[in-house]
Amino acid sequence: MRTLFFVLLLLFISGCSDTLTRVMPYEKEYFAQDKMSLTPIAARGEQEGHVYLIREASAGGESSFQGGCGCR
Amino acid sequence: MKKIISIVLLLSVALFAAPREGDKQVAFNLPKLYNANATLSSEALHGKVVLLNLWASWCSGCQEEMPLFVQLQQKYAKKNFEIVLSSIDSLPQSAKDFLAQVDKQKNLTALYDAQKVLPKSYRCPGMPSSFLIDKNGKIAAVYIGSLDADGIQKLQSKIHTLLGE
Repeated sequence: MRTLFFVLLLLFISGCSDTLTRVMPYEKEYFAQDKMSLTPIAARGEQEGHVYLIREASAGGESSFQGGCGCR
Repeated sequence: MKKIISIVLLLSVALFAAPREGDKQVAFNLPKLYNANATLSSEALHGKVVLLNLWASWCSGCQEEMPLFVQLQQKYAKKNFEIVLSSIDSLPQSAKDFLAQVDKQKNLTALYDAQKVLPKSYRCPGMPSSFLIDKNGKIAAVYIGSLDADGIQKLQSKIHTLLGE
């Protein structure tokens, strides 16, 4: 029973792993397109992306910073 | 019970750990960008110091560092050093179009990784990612993000060390 519990716990924890919940940098080709940015103004887009990231507590969807490639 | 948990934890850490400095490079055999019928394997590069660069034409950081790589390869043209690019563009033509602007003489060895095998294997936390690989196929240095002129200077000193100069 305990083994089963730990196996299920491990499966549950791995379900929350970074690779499953986060868009990886090498998967951001379509996010990097201009039409995906929040605003056509690059400087403003960076700010809006930052606010969006904090508000949604998310990472990876925005395209305004570094072309959405996840570098730096 | 504790033993089982420890073994499972150790196994999961070992299985999901990204390759680091000192580890063996990930073996690959990928088609060339300019000639899809030809392939290049990691074994064929054995005995050379290699800078493996994982990039895409849509990545602004990759665009910034590419001219620096062209200059670096030209500088080391007669040495046992090779820069190998692996593009993950969904269309190989996008990579070709970009390289046609910055590397007209095709100094850089360009591969095409349609399935994104290398970034997945290396578990790249950022794009671009570069891996300096020694003559024995071991990872000597990992660079996440684009390299600027300063970074290239530091990279050169590592290349000299690996070349035994």
